Amino acid sequence: MLKVLVPVDGSDNSRRAVQFLIQNASFYKEPLEIHLLNVRHPLPGTIRGVHREAEQHHHDAGLQALAETRRLLDGQGLKYVYHIVVGAPGESIARFVNDQQIQQVVMGTRGLGSVAAMLMGSVASEVLRLVDVPVLLVK
Amino acid sequence: MIEYLSNPVFWVGLGQIIIVNIVLSGDNAVVIALASRSLPARQQKQAIIWGSVAAIVLRVILTIVAVEMLKLPYLKLIGAFLLFYIAIQLLIPESDAEDGITSNGNLMAAIRTILIADLVMSLDNVIGVAAAAKGDNLLMMLGLAISIPLIIFGSTIILRLMERFPVIITGGAALLGWVAGEMLVSDPVLIDWIATNMPWMHIRLPLVSDISWAQILGIALVVGAGKFLASRAAKAGSTVVDLAEAEQRSASN
Repeated sequence: MLKVLVPVDGSDNSRRAVQFLIQNASFYKEPLEIHLLNVRHPLPGTIRGVHREAEQHHHDAGLQALAETRRLLDGQGLKYVYHIVVGAPGESIARFVNDQQIQQVVMGTRGLGSVAAMLMGSVASEVLRLVDVPVLLVK
Repeated sequence: MIEYLSNPVFWVGLGQIIIVNIVLSGDNAVVIALASRSLPARQQKQAIIWGSVAAIVLRVILTIVAVEMLKLPYLKLIGAFLLFYIAIQLLIPESDAEDGITSNGNLMAAIRTILIADLVMSLDNVIGVAAAAKGDNLLMMLGLAISIPLIIFGSTIILRLMERFPVIITGGAALLGWVAGEMLVSDPVLIDWIATNMPWMHIRLPLVSDISWAQILGIALVVGAGKFLASRAAKAGSTVVDLAEAEQRSASN
């Protein structure tokens, strides 16, 4: 099984990344073990005393961001594991790739926070910089 | 009045106050919203209303106190250091070492969390606005006025904004560093000493009001220290918590 990670932030671009994977799954020699990862940016540190509630919020917001891509995969009957993590996006994705021994990353070039004029968003750039596995960028 | 409003210093101050409020009233609003999250709907409304009222009352009282106190020597100095601390705190993610006292759905526990948070965060907010207002009472009052709707209505919008554009938090922290730097060198205790021993401190700019190296260093200090401490906290975190793990594991069992 080839372990593939698709970082998802709820943007159209990350949806297209999942759609690409769906359409081209047969291109791969091995069956795919698909992992979806939504990274939530932490709340500012001045927010105190509501840690559990903040986690619940992150969890719900993460599910919301993953909803569309999960629906697409469910529609195709494709199995996947989804993850919600709090941290800086690029770093967290890279850390996940290392910890889980992900063999390939498929991700959009730009996400929700990116400026349209930029060639590539900062998260995609950072992931490219930090991981050692092949990264397939979907526009 | 016209000359007053046409002075760019006023508008710069107002802009700074708006940003300070978005970050420092915004996070107060977010705490109120989060603390009341686990409560049943009717109690949730109560907690939000009382939390907001308390935050506003505290801000009014603290504003009145601050306007007078900042005229005293050493107060601006203390305020500046507090602001630096707050600004750096903004950049360090919320830590795990918390006592989740509110998640038992208890209205009193939620209100207690909210009141404590309100006290601390109102102080933060007032110092931040005071630093940006630079002694202008009208700006101070406007800062107070702007914080009110942000607390009452702002939590959802600001939470979404902070998550989608985290640069707002970094920008807010940098701005706090900027105004803290300025407040530092304008403390009556330091003014003369700096004028004599550090004449290079103030930079004359042609069109806008003078700035000082303290402000520039303030930004550098806040952003530098904040990012450093944040990345150290991230690396120190031994295992990354996957918030979706439990539900999938139990589903497959």
